[in-house]
Amino acid sequence: MSAQVKILKSHEWARVEDGVATVGITPFAVEQLGDIVFVEMPEMDTTVTQGDQFGEVESVKAASELFAPMSGKVIAVNEELEDDYSVLNRDAFGAGWMIKIAISDPAEFDSLLTEEAYQAMCAE
Amino acid sequence: MTELLKTTPLIKKHEEADARLVDFSGWRMPVQYPTGIIQEHLATRLTGGLFDVSHMGRFLISGPDALAFCRHALTNDAALLAPGQSQYTLLADTDGTAIDDAYLYRPSETEFLLVVNAGNLSKDWRHLRALSDDFTVSLTDISVETAMIAVQGPVSGQALARVFAGQPLPSARNEVSRALYQGHTAQVSRTGYTGEPIAFEIILPAERAEAFWDECVRQGVIPVGLGARDTLRLEAGLPLYGHEFGTAPDGTPIPIFTSPLARFGVKLSADRPDFFGGGALAEQVASPPHRVIRPFSVTGKGIARAGCEVYHQGQPVGWVTSGTMVPYWKTPGAAEDGHATRALGLAWVNRSIVPGDAIECDVRGKMIPGVIAKTHLNNRRPPFAIPVLSDENP
Repeated sequence: MSAQVKILKSHEWARVEDGVATVGITPFAVEQLGDIVFVEMPEMDTTVTQGDQFGEVESVKAASELFAPMSGKVIAVNEELEDDYSVLNRDAFGAGWMIKIAISDPAEFDSLLTEEAYQAMCAE
Repeated sequence: MTELLKTTPLIKKHEEADARLVDFSGWRMPVQYPTGIIQEHLATRLTGGLFDVSHMGRFLISGPDALAFCRHALTNDAALLAPGQSQYTLLADTDGTAIDDAYLYRPSETEFLLVVNAGNLSKDWRHLRALSDDFTVSLTDISVETAMIAVQGPVSGQALARVFAGQPLPSARNEVSRALYQGHTAQVSRTGYTGEPIAFEIILPAERAEAFWDECVRQGVIPVGLGARDTLRLEAGLPLYGHEFGTAPDGTPIPIFTSPLARFGVKLSADRPDFFGGGALAEQVASPPHRVIRPFSVTGKGIARAGCEVYHQGQPVGWVTSGTMVPYWKTPGAAEDGHATRALGLAWVNRSIVPGDAIECDVRGKMIPGVIAKTHLNNRRPPFAIPVLSDENP
């Protein structure tokens, strides 16, 4: 877990290693949503585009869209999450990952917020 | 903006408990405590929940014509209430839709207390005031000078017995009595909005609310916010004005007899022929509304929320009026067996769609399978409300 995490404004993080971006949502987003009870994931091999919707995360109160922090093809979906969404409360940046994307444009990573910039945005 | 919102006498308690406060019908109310909606729901079913419902409207109705006025203005028959009883009732409009749904308490021979939804308080007040012109009746809005607290769940009776130092409390559903708390009169009723078989609501002077709240917490009931209040009522299949009454997701006004609760909340009888809205309700009995509110379970993956269109055999048959994911104890009363969640709700569907019928809900363009259920909760085996799962229905 040494690679740098960067974050889309809409609270999805990405960590890139060997051309694959692991994607999830931030602890701040988890906290804001309240109890998460369902995540609608994309199918394997779906092509996703940076900034476009790839799924939904649902709390008791509401459904919220998930946006892809980077473009590419979905090559893994965290199926263990479905058994216990409380992993998101404990480890949103780690075991709470949602999908892995074989990225098509590594340069997109530069357009994401650093953790510091993201924290500053959330504090506003 | 928040300073413009109204607050209940318990706002300090909610802030101290680090509740998440939201604007609800113009009130700054706790949607959840740090415990979270799921755990608050489960705690209510396992032990007991403590709810601040002081935002609801409370109207005292007294005077020589109090009974006659209630019989004219409300759909249930107040004459059926002996002192010490309460009933579910509605304020009907002349077109047979609900202005509001409400609870009417008769704590004594001469006084009635009507509890209405917070969001409808002003509308109800204007309506009732207008109707009261023909009666020698006194209407008093006591919403500000009192607090209303619900204590619901298996231990609620024992907890309140200690809070009220052993004074007799009502023991049967819908009973209402008075007890003293710190020398002040409190109204205590066996009513609620959670589906719990053992459930109480207390109305007491606003300045006693904080002490009463603290005492209930000490006796082991857990503060529960409006988020779990909604999941609890939904699991119990209880209607919420604005969802199951008022206007349907497609804009259609919902006739009162669309709701199964109309059976309990409306009394049509020959000795009360002309109560307000009664004509339209008699027509609904003669010619029932084509759609009804029924519970449903999601059997596939996902959540069908209010506004999802409902299909049966490929044809549109109605709309989801309320829906979410709710938790339940796998074994009622046995936390060690763990909990699970299930997606369920209430739907406004064609009368021909009955329990056991397969449905599909359009969730953002994806068809999610479900089934019409008879009920989601069995509250006939106290002390626990027993979840009824979709494979046990109808």
